[in-house]
Amino acid sequence: MIANEEGLRRLMRLSLTGDKQAYAVLLEQTAKWLARYFRQKIAADAVDDLVQDTLISLHRKRASYDPTRPFLPWLAAIARYRWIDRLRQTYRHEAQMLEDYDKAEDSHEEVVGARISIDRLLDMIPTAQADVIRYVKIEGHSIDEACAHTGQSESLVKVNIHRGLKKLSALVESE
Amino acid sequence: MTQGFDLDAMVAELEPVKPLRLSQAISSVLAIAIAAAALVVLVKGARTDVVAFDPNPMFLLRAGLLLLLGGGCGWAALSMASPSVGKQGQSWKMAIAAAALLPLAALIVALTGRAEVATANAYFGLQCMAFSGLSGLATAVPMVLWLRRGAPTSPERAGWLTGVAAGGLGAFAYGLHCPFNDVVYIGLWYSLAVGLCAVLGRLVVPRLIRW
Repeated sequence: MIANEEGLRRLMRLSLTGDKQAYAVLLEQTAKWLARYFRQKIAADAVDDLVQDTLISLHRKRASYDPTRPFLPWLAAIARYRWIDRLRQTYRHEAQMLEDYDKAEDSHEEVVGARISIDRLLDMIPTAQADVIRYVKIEGHSIDEACAHTGQSESLVKVNIHRGLKKLSALVESE
Repeated sequence: MTQGFDLDAMVAELEPVKPLRLSQAISSVLAIAIAAAALVVLVKGARTDVVAFDPNPMFLLRAGLLLLLGGGCGWAALSMASPSVGKQGQSWKMAIAAAALLPLAALIVALTGRAEVATANAYFGLQCMAFSGLSGLATAVPMVLWLRRGAPTSPERAGWLTGVAAGGLGAFAYGLHCPFNDVVYIGLWYSLAVGLCAVLGRLVVPRLIRW
């Protein structure tokens, strides 16, 4: 079961008051939500780490949640921030392709809402930058492979990755 | 697996937390800005027209634009402590555009050859920059502490905005003393003061608030 906005918001409000039972459920449900949120947006073997990083950030920065506002856009902002941070750190993954998962689960966009998805964020930067970020940082290909795939020179690929990540970090809260 | 990750430990150590309230941060920044203004008046003295309750129109215009700049950018910077996709406000752009009228007007006037007040009083201009910068630094402290408690998702922008806000509020505080009403003087030296604070904010603040 994937918890919805209202359910998660209620759990978060209770968690802010120190309700441990609600917090345990919130973390469990949030971990599931994040796993779906990040799927296909980073190498498959890095999803668990990224989910955990985001949960730690949620824990440390929970006071920054405004209980009068929706929960998922707050969580998505933190998740996007951690995702960009991880893309910056991860330079070259083993050629681990994204795991092929059940397309029936691809209601992901409906679940998270397209306006707060990572795809929406990637759509906001120039295509040349988004393409190389997807190819190198998310799918784990090498710079050389990206050059062959996109027709960009090596230096242009590196510049586009650098500039693209910089733009993404400035757009984290955009929808 | 992320080192030190333990879901049960996170649940076990859960304590009630009070959500960040923007009004608290605004109050502390305002208090520091007022204290800085009071210190400027105490140390350097207030403008004679202000003391006489007969302010020069240029003083009012300058004070208003600097408050708008400091307030608008400060609000935007402090709001960044509580992130949310879709929340990003743009009002700070309007505040910067409005305040940019001063250097723009100064440039136009200077091009007509009326820049002697600004250039002949460079010593006072530098003093204006120094005092505005110091006052701005004081107002930046509560802003940075607030951002450290929150989760700003764009530390670079938060740095710029903090710097501009601090510069605007600091220049407003010093403006209570500054006797010059010349538009080129104001456009040059006040813009330099705010610009310097903005650059310092961009360079220093992101390192302090990254999480």
